[in-house]
Amino acid sequence: MSEYSSEYLNTRLSIYASRLIGFEQLVKFIQYDLERIIAEVGELTGHYYQLDGTKLNPIESQLTNRAIDDFLILIRPFSGSERRFFYFAIRWFELANLKALIRGKFSGIESLKIEQELIDLGHFADLPVKKLLETDDPYEMLRLLETTPYAGIVRQARRMYEEHGNDLFLLDATIDRSFFIDLNQRTRFLQDEDAQYIRQVMGGLLDRFNLLWLLRYRFSYGLSAAKSFYLLTTTGNKLYSSELMRLAKMDDIEEVVAALPDPYRDLLANIRVIADMETVMEYHSLSIAADALHRKSNLLSRSFAYILLREAEVRFLQALIKGKQLEFDPELIKQAVGAPS
Amino acid sequence: MWQTPLAMEKVSLYMVDEDAQQAAMTLARMAVMHPLEAQTNDRGLQDYPAAPYFSVYHELNSRFGKIAAYLKAPINQAVAATGIVTLDELQSLDEQLKELWARVSELEEQTRRQNEKMIITRQLSSSLQKFASLDLDLSRLRRRGRFLRIAVGTVPAVNFDQLKRALSLTNFMINRFYSSEGIDHVVVFGSSQQQEDMHDVLDSADFRGLNVPQEFSGSPSQLQADLNRQIEQEIKALNELKDKLTELLSSHMPVLQNAHDLLLQAGPYASLATVLRGKGGLVFLQGWVPAQRDQEIRKELERDLKFPFHVEFSAPEQKDFDVVPSLLKKSWLLKPFQALVRNFGIPSYREVDPSGLFALSYILMFGMMFGDIGHGAVIVLASLLLWKRFPGVTIVGVLAGFSSIFFGFVYGSLFGYEHVVPPLWMSPMHDPIKILLVAVLWGAGFILIANLLAIRNYIASGLPEQALFSGKGVAGLCFYLAAINASYQLFANNRFSWLEGLLLLLPMAVILQFQWRQASGGLMERVLVVLIEGLEHIISNVSGTLSFLRVAAFSLNHVALAAAVFAIAGMMDALGHGITVVLGNIFIIVLEGAIVAIQCLRLEYYEGFSRFFSGKGKAFEPLKIET
Repeated sequence: MSEYSSEYLNTRLSIYASRLIGFEQLVKFIQYDLERIIAEVGELTGHYYQLDGTKLNPIESQLTNRAIDDFLILIRPFSGSERRFFYFAIRWFELANLKALIRGKFSGIESLKIEQELIDLGHFADLPVKKLLETDDPYEMLRLLETTPYAGIVRQARRMYEEHGNDLFLLDATIDRSFFIDLNQRTRFLQDEDAQYIRQVMGGLLDRFNLLWLLRYRFSYGLSAAKSFYLLTTTGNKLYSSELMRLAKMDDIEEVVAALPDPYRDLLANIRVIADMETVMEYHSLSIAADALHRKSNLLSRSFAYILLREAEVRFLQALIKGKQLEFDPELIKQAVGAPS
Repeated sequence: MWQTPLAMEKVSLYMVDEDAQQAAMTLARMAVMHPLEAQTNDRGLQDYPAAPYFSVYHELNSRFGKIAAYLKAPINQAVAATGIVTLDELQSLDEQLKELWARVSELEEQTRRQNEKMIITRQLSSSLQKFASLDLDLSRLRRRGRFLRIAVGTVPAVNFDQLKRALSLTNFMINRFYSSEGIDHVVVFGSSQQQEDMHDVLDSADFRGLNVPQEFSGSPSQLQADLNRQIEQEIKALNELKDKLTELLSSHMPVLQNAHDLLLQAGPYASLATVLRGKGGLVFLQGWVPAQRDQEIRKELERDLKFPFHVEFSAPEQKDFDVVPSLLKKSWLLKPFQALVRNFGIPSYREVDPSGLFALSYILMFGMMFGDIGHGAVIVLASLLLWKRFPGVTIVGVLAGFSSIFFGFVYGSLFGYEHVVPPLWMSPMHDPIKILLVAVLWGAGFILIANLLAIRNYIASGLPEQALFSGKGVAGLCFYLAAINASYQLFANNRFSWLEGLLLLLPMAVILQFQWRQASGGLMERVLVVLIEGLEHIISNVSGTLSFLRVAAFSLNHVALAAAVFAIAGMMDALGHGITVVLGNIFIIVLEGAIVAIQCLRLEYYEGFSRFFSGKGKAFEPLKIET
């Protein structure tokens, strides 16, 4: 990347970073009404969304599309393997659609209702959503999905479905696992220094996935230690393979938490509910990303950190808006978005 | 050459619900109406009466498409699609196709599984081949030992590392003995006591075990024969599935043919789902039709509709100009040029269709840049050979070829030879400055015409201020003429008086003043915008005109390339000379011909169209019966 491109990207990242909404601010939004939330978001980010967006462009899609547009601007100075890495990373958004489609079809939900769950990704979409919605049964949809760039992920999901039936959590986990493995593989094509920085940012995310799913597989689904370990994804920052293998052999959650390396042992001390652990782990992984974004070092990892933070912001806002639209109680919304009560 | 899109009228049709489908069919048969989505609810017509019909039609169409993809023989297209299809008929047919598709989908799923099975058997066969050279009793692999459990098979290579670690938790070991195409061939062994956990993990890792039959106690080659038999059976099973599918579809051909015909007939009404508005049995339809066909439409509707209806036609108002579709006059000669114009954009309703001017100037410029009797003749002949497959290419090629021949006579050039045919005018190389001057004059003429067309388009679109004061309007035209005059005085008479200066400044002041009124923002921002746009206007006129120097440059280049070929040929013996001249000419025709074709297009798009043609029109897409 040329000196000019680096300077441009630095400036761009600084502007984007200044427009991210802090977690405390996001939590405050829970008490506001919908119009005020949109107005505040507009004030803080400079993006004014249309609450009365048409059916084709609801506010959920507007949030995602705006974020993707910003990501595309951000990654424009990159080329080759770096750009390919980012394009793959942004697919995370489409993965949400993939999950909604698989979940919906396997649960026998009407196409119209599934469609309402999907986010329109415009020209960035790879999934033939219209055709997928027109499928008559889950297997027809899987066959069609196996012709898309998500074939590998879908094959894993099919196997999980055939093995464990219609368990939506497991299907989601299988899809996430395959995505993380593929994403990690793409870091191998980056320059060593870049890959190292990126892995640091990704590490928190992978630790979160591995720890939470290890606990779920072992203690919610009662799977064997070996199988629980096998179903985990690429290792992250602190929880290496040896660590996870050791944890997989333990018999209860307390024992696992007590045996965790720092900082997870301290963070999760006294928490026994996996959903609560998820919230803590998520904010920890995002704090790693926030540190990386504000550290003036590697541009690639800063850009990646920004994508993670913005994605989390979009997810929070989407859940919040959905909750407000359905007129849920603020306490219920807090639970849904993972805010402290 | 200056034709505009056909005059349009807005048609508003009020009718009773029972006649809506027939009206759609009548209009679709005539292919005269571009449907218009109703913009307001001021008529109180809030319902969409065709919506339920569309919903069933869409589902049926989608299922039919999915099934038709499996058909080997095409569906018979020759249908007189004029009847009316009821909603009940569509629904009944949809049920039949739903059932049929369920069976097709089931067979497809079985085929997929069978295919996967066969891939696994092939992988195992390949795995077994690695044992072929060993004198090993494979029955040992089947035998369940008291302490030791062994399994041989394949896993996807990406799963191997994680599997190895996971198996170590069950006290099992895994060893890779061969790797190919993303598949690892492995042997797994460990304590019999934990084999359940081991199987569980292996299943998750997509392990495919080599199954040694109970009765088997022989060498690898015997087991190989067994696997080969299995593969044959699997191929047979696959073929049976294919036959079943073919049989199933053949037995349902009448249903499919019926579905095809009904879909054709139901299409027009279904496609009006978002356009037709209604309330309490009254239906309203709006669209754009060619003005010249309004009486014909009225007559056809009177003949076909059973109940009274009201139809009115009205000319578009100025506020509608942006949404009125453009229907261009058809001309077989201009058709390929219209396609090239469409690449840039569709003429707006009130804009001049530039296809005629484009065709003429493109052909002339091509000839000027590629003037050679022989090369032109080759282009004509080569284009004629493409007539059946690419008629559009033939038309452009033949015209460009003849233009090339004409300019070949003007330059006196035949396959690069400059002294065989006496020139009607002169060879470009004899006076390059004259040729360059001609090219600049051609460019100036081209830009002047573009400017005049821009003024005409502004007036036709009801934008008189732009027509008078903008850079592309009369002020811009005056500035350009003043610039030509100033250049002439400067170069021909070595004079630039206050008069030339005044003639330049006056129109520029008008342009800047107009831009000042158009600009928004703060004072400094407006000053900057106006100054930059004024500067841009001057630069674009100068660079645009000079851009046409390439017309001369390529005519010189053509002669120079031929001279280079002859220079190389001159160094050869007689045979070598002949071969070099032939290959050199082919090279010139293919490479330079392609470059000249592209350069002409570039001049048309960037120096011509960008000055007068918005290309923001909407194509006229009539309601019609799809075939």
